[in-house]
Amino acid sequence: MLNHIPDPIELVNYIDDGEQARHFQFRLLNIQKISEKSTVKSIDKHQWHNAKPGQFFMLNVPSIGEAAFTFTEPPNEQGEFRALIRQMGKLTRTLFTLPKGEVLGARGPFGRGWPLERIAQHNIIIIAGGCGLAPLVNLINNFTATKSRNLADNQQLVLIYGAQSKAAQLLTTERMRWQKQIKIYNTLDEVEHQYTLAENESQGTPVDCIDSALASFTRPVTIALLCGPESMMQSAAKRLVKSGLASKDIFLAIERRMHCAVGLCGHCYLNQHYVCKNGPTFSWQELQ
Amino acid sequence: MEVYQLDDLTQLQQHLLVQHQLYQVIKNDDEQCAWQQQTKEANEPLIAMLPQSSAKNFFFAEHESLLIFNGDYFQETLPTPEPFVLFGVLSCDLTAISYQDKFFQDDPYYQARRKQCLLVGLDCIQPCQQGFCPTVDAGPGVRQHNADIILHPLANQQWLLITTNDKGAEAIKGLALTTSHWHLLTQRDLTLRQCEQDFPDHSYIINGIDKLNSGEIKDSFWQQLAVQCLGCSGCTTLCPTCSCYSTRSISVESEQNKVIKQERFWDSCLYESFQREASFHNPSSEAGKRVQRFWQHKFGNEFFTTFNRHGCVGCGRCEQTCPGVIGVHSVMKRITNDA
Amino acid sequence: MSASLIKTTCPFCGVGCGMYLKVNQHGQLLSVEPQQSHPISQGKLCDKGWSTAYAIDSYQRITQPLKRINKSFYPISWHEALTTIADELTAIIDESGSNTVGIISSARASNEDNYAAQKFARAVLKTNNIDHCARICHSPTVAGLKQSLGSGAMTNSAKDIFQTDLILVIGADPTENHSILGGHIMQAHAQGTELIVVDPRVTRLAKLTPMHLQLKLGSNIALINALLHVIIKEQWFDENFVKSRCQGFEQLVKHVKAITPESVESVTGVDAELIRATARAYSQAERAMIFYGMGITQYVSGTNNVISLANLALSCGHIGKAGTGVNPLRGQNNVQGACDMGCLPNVYPGYQAVAELVNQEKFSKAWGTEVAQPPGLTSLGMTKAAQSGDFRALLLFGEDPVVTDPDQNHVQSSLKNLDLLVVAELTMTETAKLADIILPAVSFAEKDGTFTNCERRVQKVNQALAPLAEAKGDWQWLQALAKQMGSQALNWQNSEEVFNEMASLTPAYQAMTYQKIADKSGLQWPCTKETPDGTAILHQQSFPIGKARFICVNQVDIDEPIDENYPLLLTTNRLHFHYGCGSMTRKSPLLERETPPGILFINPDDAKALHITHQAPVSVKSRRGYVETRAMLSDDVPIGIVAMPYHFKEAPSNQLTNTAQDPVTKMPELKACAVVVTALAKGIAPKTIQQLQEAQ
Repeated sequence: MLNHIPDPIELVNYIDDGEQARHFQFRLLNIQKISEKSTVKSIDKHQWHNAKPGQFFMLNVPSIGEAAFTFTEPPNEQGEFRALIRQMGKLTRTLFTLPKGEVLGARGPFGRGWPLERIAQHNIIIIAGGCGLAPLVNLINNFTATKSRNLADNQQLVLIYGAQSKAAQLLTTERMRWQKQIKIYNTLDEVEHQYTLAENESQGTPVDCIDSALASFTRPVTIALLCGPESMMQSAAKRLVKSGLASKDIFLAIERRMHCAVGLCGHCYLNQHYVCKNGPTFSWQELQ
Repeated sequence: MEVYQLDDLTQLQQHLLVQHQLYQVIKNDDEQCAWQQQTKEANEPLIAMLPQSSAKNFFFAEHESLLIFNGDYFQETLPTPEPFVLFGVLSCDLTAISYQDKFFQDDPYYQARRKQCLLVGLDCIQPCQQGFCPTVDAGPGVRQHNADIILHPLANQQWLLITTNDKGAEAIKGLALTTSHWHLLTQRDLTLRQCEQDFPDHSYIINGIDKLNSGEIKDSFWQQLAVQCLGCSGCTTLCPTCSCYSTRSISVESEQNKVIKQERFWDSCLYESFQREASFHNPSSEAGKRVQRFWQHKFGNEFFTTFNRHGCVGCGRCEQTCPGVIGVHSVMKRITNDA
Repeated sequence: MSASLIKTTCPFCGVGCGMYLKVNQHGQLLSVEPQQSHPISQGKLCDKGWSTAYAIDSYQRITQPLKRINKSFYPISWHEALTTIADELTAIIDESGSNTVGIISSARASNEDNYAAQKFARAVLKTNNIDHCARICHSPTVAGLKQSLGSGAMTNSAKDIFQTDLILVIGADPTENHSILGGHIMQAHAQGTELIVVDPRVTRLAKLTPMHLQLKLGSNIALINALLHVIIKEQWFDENFVKSRCQGFEQLVKHVKAITPESVESVTGVDAELIRATARAYSQAERAMIFYGMGITQYVSGTNNVISLANLALSCGHIGKAGTGVNPLRGQNNVQGACDMGCLPNVYPGYQAVAELVNQEKFSKAWGTEVAQPPGLTSLGMTKAAQSGDFRALLLFGEDPVVTDPDQNHVQSSLKNLDLLVVAELTMTETAKLADIILPAVSFAEKDGTFTNCERRVQKVNQALAPLAEAKGDWQWLQALAKQMGSQALNWQNSEEVFNEMASLTPAYQAMTYQKIADKSGLQWPCTKETPDGTAILHQQSFPIGKARFICVNQVDIDEPIDENYPLLLTTNRLHFHYGCGSMTRKSPLLERETPPGILFINPDDAKALHITHQAPVSVKSRRGYVETRAMLSDDVPIGIVAMPYHFKEAPSNQLTNTAQDPVTKMPELKACAVVVTALAKGIAPKTIQQLQEAQ
């Protein structure tokens, strides 16, 4: 049977990032409690230890409800995990007012994450817009972590990150760190006139950068990972197909309103798919 | 499968009432038909009339509590119904239950109710007003896998009783029944075949389904049709296979403590806000897209492959309740003629 | 799950659809089911109707009497509430006289409640200060049709929609406000009935017909006079009918002689040829019926607008027969009934004039007490008098004038100025927040009674649930209060007794009983000894005033045109998923989800010029007020006009609306005022009026 019941979590900490966005650190409470008392590591009815990059969880803010968010760091041994959350509606507005130590709920991980088996050994282009970078953080971190550098020899990774404005950019520290190992193109929809663009910045949308990003690869790109506003992803996917990528090698992470996350409530439909169950990651081919 | 002849229906009702709560479709003074609980004293006749509300809320409740949160942890609030029997479910509604059984296969709330239920199906031997079950393979005769017991009216107030599985056989244990002659089954087939032939010509529905799946219908057709969708939720509420829901949290204060209850309740994909996100991004902001989705979900081949049948069971309730006159008959005629 | 079904009448809008309340064995309301055999709704409901269970849910309801001390409310007993109210009322009456107290009753409450309210005012308080919200919806209908035809109600019935050849919808948005009737119109149109829509906005019905006359705000009379001009000039009028059934046609002929379609093109914005085509279609149709709404009544020319529609129908003889008539679409479930019950300052039940001595005697005798004689104040009159201290105590139930009445700031300060404000309500409303005492009211599901729908059909409301906690029905608490004040005038045992007393005094209701209403699925008034089964079509043989009157009326421009500082015209509209102040419909999580709390419809071209994007926060300012809301870009509103629904307490359109009034009925001009719209900083939620007021 499906489990609709969240595990209790503690809001451990948060750090502001960009405009009205925060990195939240949560900790699963029952995992900890169980491990103190017994040798069984966790009851883990939700398979938290299996979370994959690109999967999501349902955050329950009691008295408000539930909404879907992706992990920027999946649960570790202590049951700690992180998410980057932007203030948008009632649930996030409430979340941003909560003090550290507050007990909330979480269910997950859900959905189909990035196609890791397809990614290994391939040259990858990542195109993200706004908050759309969040589901890719974990993946990029894995590739760029100094200790366990997962990028295979000759494997290249390029990121195009678009934001509405300089102030709206997210994950600046992370991008600075990644930049040491991978090439990053930053695009800005709006640029204030006093502002001088940095070397890896340009005005426009991520789609405008695709050609030059592709040209920077020494060997052809074989996989593209896209996340951000749906219209941007669609234009990007079309451009990539034009540039010779197969539509089965372009992956999009789709966002939808969700209530159940297990393919029942119907809200996240996309053609015959439910984004929560069949996605949120789809190949461009599947969406045609 | 066992086949019996039943002389007195009340005997069966009384027998089932010993171990079950029994619900039956009752017609009131205004000719309104609805599922009502029957007691041992009540002896309402069994009628083959389509109740305005299908039986879906016996399993997928209109509102139900999913969990409560007491400040420390979340607790599941599973329903615990007594064993009950739905006595005389028509084939279209049984087909819908079987459809939802599949859809809610892993849902604990649905299944907690469903496993307590004995389904007694009732064959229709006359077409109903809006129905077109034969067109979508959902009736008029009860499909064997959709009920535990099937009742078929014979002449002289007699009934053919068919048990289709162990659950049905178990339920009638102890009831004095005569094993039937197999020829009565042949008679049933003939009666049902005759009933099928008595349905009006519904070829526009078949044509409509074909056209819907041809990919030829223009967006402008759906937009024009959707002008007439008032977003009332009547079709999705009465449709026996519609299953969309939403959730909300509400604070429940009792004398002892304050808990937060999370409940789910029926939703409708025809509401403009059904898919709208907190950012105001809305993949289905156009009414035309929502109306198209509704009909695609009922008749699209892409869903047929998952459920091995259409999402529509041919009950016609949407036609009857739609204030905008875009229920299934109207839509299929318009698709056939205008799209 | 299985539940018992209790038949009743939908509590939203004047259509009066039939529904069952599904109640489980624990006495909880689960949901509703439409009544298939209902003469109008035939198994259909709109989204409001389907959401009834949420609207009256016990969650968030007021469950006991509350007393306000400073800004907080404290629970008190009924005894304390009633003695406090009775003592204060008595003291105020003794000190300043009965004309300083009054009641605003409710078009949502039952006939029985409304009858009790006006009797309480007239027989216990001894004042004619009794009114209700019809003032701001259809008072011009009552005044206008009374003059022209002799009766101020819908002349025909809902079923006539399927018996007509042409439907003219003017200043009404039936699919949104009277969805089931709107659906009937769509159905009839699909089956071949011609449809003409006259509306400044592209309504849903307008999208279904090529005959859409998109007139400028407030140019109804110019347009109708031009239609009459064409009809007379082309000899398309019904000479026989005009001669035998009407008077004053000659003056009308003279009056419209110069009003050619070309002469009104610039005022109305409607092409002369389209006016001619409309005149031909309407006059030449075998049967044609007019439906209108607040796009006719909510103008300074409201009464005259109604009169001009009567002129149009009379000239073509489209009245007194099936499939014809002048048919106002009344807003609330029982606004017709509240008017019929005499919850108006100038008439007793059945529109019997207060000013006439014989009527005063009739009611004094029937009620066994001397009734009040001086004419009463209208609701706006009461708030105005409260401002100056000439009006001191108000009892109010089932209405939220702070949200729904024009010029919110004025209403609020007036109500604050009262010595005593008593509000009976289901849930906390903006008006209730100002009350000294709040009384817990029961919902329609917790009471017996009757509603009268817009086609004059009196229908039963049947109690399905026990009253929530300490809540009481309106006539029941009025009865208790009357007793507290020493009057036995309201001592009925049950709702049926209230109804029977009312029917005995109200000619049009005289042959009605609860049993007959139930048996006949409602009875349409007049229901008298001569017409025991009611009357589906009025004026078949003659008019109550003998011959109907043609009354010449002139175009009156809107009171507040645009200028440099206020360059856009604001009109008000309604959304199909909300009802009135939203106090009921907004409790449905589904309906509440449909829009942000407060919206402004604006044409994309206007929006572009103002750098406003879809759903972006904007401010709207008029000479009277300022609100913040979200923009909805829509081609349905023409360039130069913005439209705002009035359901949202967070962004009430009545902060902005004009208080200029129709001289006859004091109907404020809610449909047009000048505003300026400005884009606000992106990404920040619009401030609610409450936040704006606190910031001041």
